[in-house]
Amino acid sequence: MTEIHTMPIAEPVLEVRGLSAGYGKRAVVHEVDLTVRAGEIRVLLGHNGAGKTTLVRTVFGLLRPTSGTVRYRGEDITRRRCADNVKAGIALVPQGHGIFRSLTVRENLELGAYTAQDPAEIRVNRDAVMDLFPILRERAGQIAGTMSGGQQQMLAMGMALMHRPDVMILDEPSIGLAPNLVQRVMEAIAEVNRTLRMAVLMVEQNVVHALPIAQSVTVLRTGRKIYEGPPEPLGDRQYLMTLF
Amino acid sequence: MEYLAHILVMVCLYGILATSFNLLIGFGGIFALAHATFYASGAYAAGILATKLGIGFPLTLLAGTVVTAAIGLLVAFPAMRVGSHYLVVITLALQAITIDVLMNSKPLTGGPDGIPGIPPVSLFGTALTSPVSFLPLAAVMAALCCAVAWRLGASPFGRSLRAMRENEAAAQAVGKNLVRMKLVVFAMSAGLASVAGTLVAHYIAFVNPESFTIEETILILAMVILGGMGNLWGSLAGAAILVLLPEGLKFVHVPGDIADMVRQVIYGVVLIVILRLRPEGLFPETVFRTSTGAARSSVPANGPPTGALERASGTPGEVVVSATSLSKHFGGIQAVKDLTIDLKRGEIVGLIGPNGAGKTTAFNLLSGFLRPTGGTILYRGRDVTKLKPHEVVAAGLARSFQDLKLFTKLTVVENILVSLPAQPGDRPLDVYFRPGLVRRADRENVARALEIASFVGLLAKADETAANLSYAEEKLLVIARLLATGADVLLLDEPLSGLDTVTVERICGVIRDLARANKAVCIIEHNLEVIRGVCDEIVFIDEGRVLTKGPPDTLMRDRELAERYFG
Amino acid sequence: MDLLIQLTLNGLFNGAHFALLAMGFALIFGTTGVVHFAYGPVYAVGAYAIWALAVLVGLPFWAAVLLGVALTAALGVGCYLFIYRPFEISGSPPFVVLVASLGLFIVMKNLIGIVFGTGVKTVDSVAYDVHFVGNAFFTTVQLGQVAAALLVGCGIALFLRASRYGKAIRAMADNREMATVIGIDTTRLSILVFALGSAVSAVAGSLVLLRDGLNPNMGFGAVFVAFVAVIVGGVGSLRGAVIAAFLLAFVQSLGMWQIPTEWQNTIVFVVLFGFLLARPSGIVRRA
Repeated sequence: MTEIHTMPIAEPVLEVRGLSAGYGKRAVVHEVDLTVRAGEIRVLLGHNGAGKTTLVRTVFGLLRPTSGTVRYRGEDITRRRCADNVKAGIALVPQGHGIFRSLTVRENLELGAYTAQDPAEIRVNRDAVMDLFPILRERAGQIAGTMSGGQQQMLAMGMALMHRPDVMILDEPSIGLAPNLVQRVMEAIAEVNRTLRMAVLMVEQNVVHALPIAQSVTVLRTGRKIYEGPPEPLGDRQYLMTLF
Repeated sequence: MEYLAHILVMVCLYGILATSFNLLIGFGGIFALAHATFYASGAYAAGILATKLGIGFPLTLLAGTVVTAAIGLLVAFPAMRVGSHYLVVITLALQAITIDVLMNSKPLTGGPDGIPGIPPVSLFGTALTSPVSFLPLAAVMAALCCAVAWRLGASPFGRSLRAMRENEAAAQAVGKNLVRMKLVVFAMSAGLASVAGTLVAHYIAFVNPESFTIEETILILAMVILGGMGNLWGSLAGAAILVLLPEGLKFVHVPGDIADMVRQVIYGVVLIVILRLRPEGLFPETVFRTSTGAARSSVPANGPPTGALERASGTPGEVVVSATSLSKHFGGIQAVKDLTIDLKRGEIVGLIGPNGAGKTTAFNLLSGFLRPTGGTILYRGRDVTKLKPHEVVAAGLARSFQDLKLFTKLTVVENILVSLPAQPGDRPLDVYFRPGLVRRADRENVARALEIASFVGLLAKADETAANLSYAEEKLLVIARLLATGADVLLLDEPLSGLDTVTVERICGVIRDLARANKAVCIIEHNLEVIRGVCDEIVFIDEGRVLTKGPPDTLMRDRELAERYFG
Repeated sequence: MDLLIQLTLNGLFNGAHFALLAMGFALIFGTTGVVHFAYGPVYAVGAYAIWALAVLVGLPFWAAVLLGVALTAALGVGCYLFIYRPFEISGSPPFVVLVASLGLFIVMKNLIGIVFGTGVKTVDSVAYDVHFVGNAFFTTVQLGQVAAALLVGCGIALFLRASRYGKAIRAMADNREMATVIGIDTTRLSILVFALGSAVSAVAGSLVLLRDGLNPNMGFGAVFVAFVAVIVGGVGSLRGAVIAAFLLAFVQSLGMWQIPTEWQNTIVFVVLFGFLLARPSGIVRRA
């Protein structure tokens, strides 16, 4: 568990310390530490049931932790409501259907900025999102549920970007997508990170596509952190096999 | 005196209604809100037969029961197709139709005026016209009905009903025929309710539609919930309380029609209050749990399993299950295509592959939960492709679920008991007419269930409710339940996920024991280290088809597979 | 021929009434998932309140309606806050909430009877005309039902489409968890839809008061028709519920051509059953 930093260390945006969480009596995440620094893409890897989704849902405030703390820009947000976290600048793109399927693309985007008040600002943000994902402008009037899986994933990300978060949490954006689409989604995430200088915490199982855009990696196994560091060592699949 | 007798008669009648309704919703978990319909059917059958055809009491009872049980069977059919809200709407609609029919079939039912002048019951030459004279009959009938309901509820069949209530898919997966169970419980519940109807018709000498509205169903529901779902004694208590409670109104002077409405208000308030304060009711269902007392002494506390693991017959290595070219598509999505897999005696096969590769779908196909669009599944040469889940289990192939699907409110030993095959106590006829056989068989089954509990290390928790287990214990119970089915082909869907290393080792040990006992085992697992440790062969599935298979070490060294697994 | 015209007209007017009831119920059920049986008695209480304000207090009818609608909205919100929400918070299974709503149903229904008596209540102070089409006829009140259904329908549609809260309601009905994720306060929205849905039912109640008069039993038929319309129309679709409401009314009305009037519920049941078997997801399927 050695951390290797080749770049100057940016300040932490999200700091998770000793977080344990689960469903009812079932503990799924055990005392996990995790830091996401400004402007970085941190990828959270692990096999099915390793606790990745539980971890990020707890960080976002959808689940109450059994112990541990979550800090956002130094402020303790451990038991805060989602709505407040959204306002403060955290966005979650949940697994699977992170959109409102029966609403149009435009409506989905507007709802992404639900906590924002200023209509002019919403419009500006919407234009920015549509510049980033031109397909969303093209399909603005379409019912979201009728778009392809890849387009839906773009929309889900677009919604998260609508209130200009400082950190975006993505829960398995590649799930259910064909390999070439996964590639495109990953490129989009890298671009968002680059152009908006936004920190990204991404849960993934798709190691092949996630590693190239990762700047740092955390690996969970059965709810515990077993690796933290740069992505490079994980390029060795044999090593990965032992981790999974 | 007459007044008191009248109240007691009403307690008896509602006792019958509440216990019979409890069988349906408390035991079976079937939310069919049409109990007043069954009640009405018994009452009108008696009224019509007695006034139009001059048929007397015991015969009206018999006819009413048969007719109403048949109506119950009819209602059971929609109850099998739809669940939850839809069933509620359909049964409410049925309730509304009942009133329509009673109101509008004037020649038969007398319409809104009902049927007056129903002759009283005559027994031994005396007409039972007064409440005091009727009470003994009501009490005997109530005792009889409760005994019938109690016998069913406390039998292994009742246990299976409670299991079905907890989780229908899991009940099927341990070999229960849900269609048969639902038909039986509907017919029984309806038939018993009609007894109360017949009695009330002869007792009051008059029936009209107003007595059988939705309010009546809600009243009976309130009695069941107040007493406790799944506890038949509770229903008697609930009936007594809700019949007695409004009688206090007699002492304040309110006009009759207002008193009626005040009574309804009281019922409603009681219902809401009990749901808020004590949703499990006054008397929780613990009484109906299976006791293990006597059988426990015979089981070694922590010794080696004596008979828990019967060795499956046949030669090791023999192919037991062979699935050929299975395919399944949902709409346009091809979840499984051309999947071919063999399971052999004494071998552990690991099914691995990326998320969404079709592993669980493969299990669903093999266990009858999904019907393949193409391909065949042979179990020891017999075609089992088109069998229903419970038939597949009976044939010898059982599966577990990723999300466990335990019977949460049942005890550990009950979870295992329910899963044991071919129980005489699961056959309602045997429950009533061969009690000795049922008792003997169940005693043996309890002992066997305890052995299995001991084998997986859950003996100390045998009488604990499954809801109180730790996650690791829950996973052990899943395996115990699977074992109990007696199947010799076992499909385990992620038996190890989310467990600490100690429990993983323990369960791996159990899985190896299964293979040593000559069973064919197939597991889905994501933890590759575990797969390598426990499996004889790995089948790698991607995009719904078998990509390759072979010994774990060879496969794990395959670079291309690694890329696929992680990509 | 005249009979056919009359039956068609009746279908139309009844359809408007059913549509109002179905819209209110659909708003509540579709958004919060609460099977609000007490919707029936709440609607009845609303109608009785309007009657009391108009007849006992002597308010002008329009004022009575306005006040009555507001009271009904408040009563609906009360049901949510004091009965359903505590169950939601404690994580009770859906059937517990459903049974509680049944309890609330009989409490409110019988309270109406206790307070107002079981006799039929009518308003005589409002005069209306009778119009003829050939030998078939209809009244201004019936026209009012169609107008109200149109107005309320368009109003709700506009609100749901164009306003921020409206969109949030549609979002919550579509995907409750995602609504939380983007920062929507689901409790506040639940209060809003209970208020709106109950208010809509009171509008229907005011017109039924003029058309047929009131009795304490009116709630069951109302919630029954509304529930069936929502299921037949497809849960979550307001448009589906409206279409289904008209469908039910027309089938009922035209059924009377051959079938005696009293079998209305049975006709509704047959439609429901046919739909559940043939098209379980309802007329309008969700994307």
